[in-house]
Amino acid sequence: MTATTTDLARLSTPYWQRTRWQTWLLIAVLIGGGFVMLYPFAWLVLSAFKLPADIIRIPPTLWPEEWSLEAFQVVLSHKIGGGSLTRSYINSIFVTVTTVIAVLITSTLGGYCFARLRFPLREPLFYFVLSTTMVPFLTLLIPLYVVMDRLELLNTLWVLIVPSVFSSFGIFLCRQFVYGIPLELYDAAKIDGAGDFTIYTRIIVGMMKPVISVLAIFSFRATFNDYLWPLVTITDGGNYTLPLALRGIGNSFGWFDYSKVMASSLLTLIPPLIVFFIFQRNLVKGIALTGIKG
Amino acid sequence: MAVTAGPSPTDAAPVRSPRAWLSQYSWLGMGFAFSLSLFYLIMFVIPFGTAIWLSFNNWDYIQKPVFVNTRNFEKLLGDSGFWDALWNTVRFSVVEIFVALSLALLLALALSHLRPVYQYTLLAIYNLPVIMPGVVSVLLWKWLYRTNGGAFNAILESVGLPAQPFSKSPDQALWCITLMVVWIFLGNSSIVLLAAINEVPDSLLEAAQLDGASAWKRFTAVTLPLIQPAMAYQVVTSIIGTMQMFEPFQLMPGPGHSTRTLSLYTYQLGFEVLNLGYGAAVSIAMFVILLSATLFELQRRRKSWDY
Repeated sequence: MTATTTDLARLSTPYWQRTRWQTWLLIAVLIGGGFVMLYPFAWLVLSAFKLPADIIRIPPTLWPEEWSLEAFQVVLSHKIGGGSLTRSYINSIFVTVTTVIAVLITSTLGGYCFARLRFPLREPLFYFVLSTTMVPFLTLLIPLYVVMDRLELLNTLWVLIVPSVFSSFGIFLCRQFVYGIPLELYDAAKIDGAGDFTIYTRIIVGMMKPVISVLAIFSFRATFNDYLWPLVTITDGGNYTLPLALRGIGNSFGWFDYSKVMASSLLTLIPPLIVFFIFQRNLVKGIALTGIKG
Repeated sequence: MAVTAGPSPTDAAPVRSPRAWLSQYSWLGMGFAFSLSLFYLIMFVIPFGTAIWLSFNNWDYIQKPVFVNTRNFEKLLGDSGFWDALWNTVRFSVVEIFVALSLALLLALALSHLRPVYQYTLLAIYNLPVIMPGVVSVLLWKWLYRTNGGAFNAILESVGLPAQPFSKSPDQALWCITLMVVWIFLGNSSIVLLAAINEVPDSLLEAAQLDGASAWKRFTAVTLPLIQPAMAYQVVTSIIGTMQMFEPFQLMPGPGHSTRTLSLYTYQLGFEVLNLGYGAAVSIAMFVILLSATLFELQRRRKSWDY
């Protein structure tokens, strides 16, 4: 009897609970690998605080000889083609927040409509939306630029927002999720006389919280980090987003004083880092849940 | 349907008038479908159609487009710029996917032996580069790769190895970019694989162990077949991601055209030399190649897990 119980206990013990010296070796190797991953990042952070004379030293030293905020002061007052780093910061935040909110609304609503509501051509429309993800953005780049030119949106912040307000991936993800919400909930609300939109706002949105946070992170990352589309459509420095401003700073300072480039990179990383540390758990869970590489 | 006895709440009423026809549908659904269709018409159908149309024309954005039939595609077949770009794209894509996936699999396997708390903490570190904007990563690595006074050359010299030209050499530039891209996406790929490995039932591994299977045998005979769908998924998204990658090739180019890929070539044709028709033809070729690669990979993988 006791033998059986211990056998069962042993069999149901996950691998990681059997602490052996191999496990410690494994952790040591993984932490070592973590240091390798962090090594380039350490250069970025530490070099941002170096003085110009320190940064051009050969061979280079990782640790600053003297900690200085000079690079930050210089890049914050530097003009980038009619704009500035601060201006780009505001632009990036505005574009990212607007896009993320738009994507969240259209995706949750879209998921709900495609999964639960009746309208003509529902299935063909859904598979059409899904199939658009097979066309690379590079194929659409040139004609989409022409369309934006015709709509007179070029060189405004709206050109960065409008093409992304609907997300094929977001609609797909939310539709799968809404299918998992029990039909009884929906029917009960319907019998109580709730309209489609009331059901959406009162029931569906509340139940979609896990998928909403995942979608918010993916959408944030895609918009905030985007480089090619702004590069093509924004020429006025006043409307630059952070990746474009960084490129401008790289062009101005990259040749002789990289501390300026690193300082502006570090400033750029603040919003993603905040989002990352708040949502890291959700991100891991979300990627595991959806199996999606953003 | 018309002869169903009694009204059913889910079935549509027999269509008699437009009013009756409409009443079976949800207004919210129709409103959404309408705005969605309008959006995809302007942002997808028209641009995609234009891309195809443009590939049969010559256009410099200023004068009227001139119809040239299939001449752009004929030109493409004999254009060494296109073939070099394709070769660079394929080399980069294949090597990046192979290296990143092997490392990600090792990492995921190692992490799967740890408690979830350690898994999350270590994954956070490995995932840090993923959240950085591509421009930040490229500017950083470009500096680390510098020939004189770059951090990587400093490491090589400190262990007595000769300094390398890195991005300055046509032979090394593409692999410098590849290494950086592996660094960026390693953590992300391992999350997907780790999730799949964690799903493998312990009982199966235990059973195999009781049957005397070695650790290697357990991995190849139990774990690997069970994570095939996740691997396939990872390969397909990586194909799509690497084929379209743009930032490193524009911001950290090697000498000459040694790192010019299809995405950079399309961009240059469209926005630098203003040969929009030919640029569209190259981008259509890219679409066809990407679609074939994805379908081929899916087909190949499906065979191995349909059992």
